[in-house]
Amino acid sequence: MQAYIIRRLLLVPFTLVLISIIVFIFMRAVPGDAADVRCGAAGNFDQQCFDVVREELGLNENKVNQYFKWLGDIVLRGDFGYSLSQRAHINEELGKRIWNTAQIGLLSIAFTLLIGIPVGAVSAVRSGTMSDYVLRFLAVMGLSVPNFWIATLVVIFPAVWWGTRVAPDWVGWEEPLTHLQILAIPAFIIALAGGGTIARIVRSSMLEVLRSDQVRTARAKGLRESVVVSRHVFRPSMIALFTIIGLQFSLVLGGSVIMESIFNIPGMGLWVISAVGERDFMIIQAVVVVFATWFLLITLLVDVAYAWVDPRIRY
Amino acid sequence: MTTAEEVAGSLGLEARPNAARRALTALFRFVRTQPLGTVGAIIIIVMIVCSVFAGQLNTVDPKTSIREASALDAPSGDHFFGTDRSRRDVWSRVLYGGRPTLTIGFGAVAVTIAAAVILALAAGFLGGLVDIIISRLIEIIIAVPGILWLLMFTTAIDRSVQTLVFSIAFTFTPIAIRLFRGNVIQERSVTYVEAARVIGASGGRIMFRHILPNLAPLVIVAASITIPAAMLTEAGITFLGLGLEPGTPSWAQDLGPSNRPFFRLAWWLVIFPGAALALAVLAFNFFGDSVRDVLDPRLRGSGLI
Repeated sequence: MQAYIIRRLLLVPFTLVLISIIVFIFMRAVPGDAADVRCGAAGNFDQQCFDVVREELGLNENKVNQYFKWLGDIVLRGDFGYSLSQRAHINEELGKRIWNTAQIGLLSIAFTLLIGIPVGAVSAVRSGTMSDYVLRFLAVMGLSVPNFWIATLVVIFPAVWWGTRVAPDWVGWEEPLTHLQILAIPAFIIALAGGGTIARIVRSSMLEVLRSDQVRTARAKGLRESVVVSRHVFRPSMIALFTIIGLQFSLVLGGSVIMESIFNIPGMGLWVISAVGERDFMIIQAVVVVFATWFLLITLLVDVAYAWVDPRIRY
Repeated sequence: MTTAEEVAGSLGLEARPNAARRALTALFRFVRTQPLGTVGAIIIIVMIVCSVFAGQLNTVDPKTSIREASALDAPSGDHFFGTDRSRRDVWSRVLYGGRPTLTIGFGAVAVTIAAAVILALAAGFLGGLVDIIISRLIEIIIAVPGILWLLMFTTAIDRSVQTLVFSIAFTFTPIAIRLFRGNVIQERSVTYVEAARVIGASGGRIMFRHILPNLAPLVIVAASITIPAAMLTEAGITFLGLGLEPGTPSWAQDLGPSNRPFFRLAWWLVIFPGAALALAVLAFNFFGDSVRDVLDPRLRGSGLI
């Protein structure tokens, strides 16, 4: 087990370096760069400005040198460099934004489980009844209806009908309730899709356990159905969840990019979208590396937890 | 009790009518046992027909303004779904708007399945270094959220339908490979594959004649999940204004930033394209669930595969 964790931990930097190379190549392949955007914005392209800006941003340097300088700064000093459009230090901005996106991510994972597990469990226990059909239908709806459409409707219609603003302007923790409201609504909308997926997995794995011998034995020895379900069915069927929760995390981050743009939340997603418009690949590179790091560490944690919950699994 | 017909059938005579009848029986069975899946299939067919024959269904050019109409006209007999701020007919835009999304859905699934089957066969069958390299690549692709990959592809290459098809396939292929690879490894040690090896069948023959056909149900299942997921992915990036070229009639495009300021004034701008997209994804999911049920009862309702 220890050897497995160490091996996985050693693979994380290896994967990250490969991702950084791919992202770097992608970003250098982009037609036009920040200098074009800055010097050609008004429609008339200014060659002198272009030359000065490119020199200033270090874009005239050899690409390989550029890469190693970028990677070296990250590895040695945790320094993501300066954004190309604003010349602002990326770390500073990152520090503010990473926390907002992380909060949305954690909240929506929590909502995903809070929606998915009860819906799936009720659906399995009452399988074949009307409530099962209704819940299954809702689960499919949850993962089919595009979250950005739901979010748009939620933003528009309460405002039109009742004049209430569901999504207030952005505030930080100075106003905790408003802050939480701003984060919770997009997090909940992201969670609808994940909740639908989780509900279906919980339902099918609980049904499988419900048909097993150990459950028949538990019933035969006269245990109440509630005890059978809570003690003998629920726990083993939760194990199936671990296999997909890592992937859910990736979906949540992707969903957060869209939600941040609709609800105007200054997180990593909104940042990366505006960076695309400004051809600011330093920001895009930083966001990709941070997201990938999160994902790799979370999946590692999930796999370790998986082995810990299910004693049959040995790495 | 064998009738002459059955004997003829078993001898391979009159194979064609027999196959047709069997297909028809299977179809009736599907309709009887899978009502939701049937509804899904009908919606899918209607949507495909509507997008293919969009030009014949009382539409006008979705990209040009109509001189006689006023901007933001409510739905009426002339304009079933109203008009938008540039006096374009929303009904026409919704019908034409299905084309890119459906094309990308089907295109992405075709590329995903083809790539995933080849790579999964290579990884599972050849093993060793090939397997290790493919597993590393999968990890790299999965570690970055799909929407960021798409964003990088569309900024670095272009925003055409082809680029979107390939970049969406790029993000879905690793998941499909993981699904198929396990199955290939399982099949590799099955008795009849060993028997084939013993009688001297070549690696290629075993791979394509013995293992590949057994992947078929799993391939159909993977395809049924990938189509709606690919459509949602395309919609997501186009909605952000970073997918399809601006101006292309597409459901997600019309829900995006360019129209957003007008949604308060004109509900039809946000309801119709959104409902069309949601209905399409829902139909594919219902149909996919039913296909899964029929092919493999063990996977019933799992949503995982």
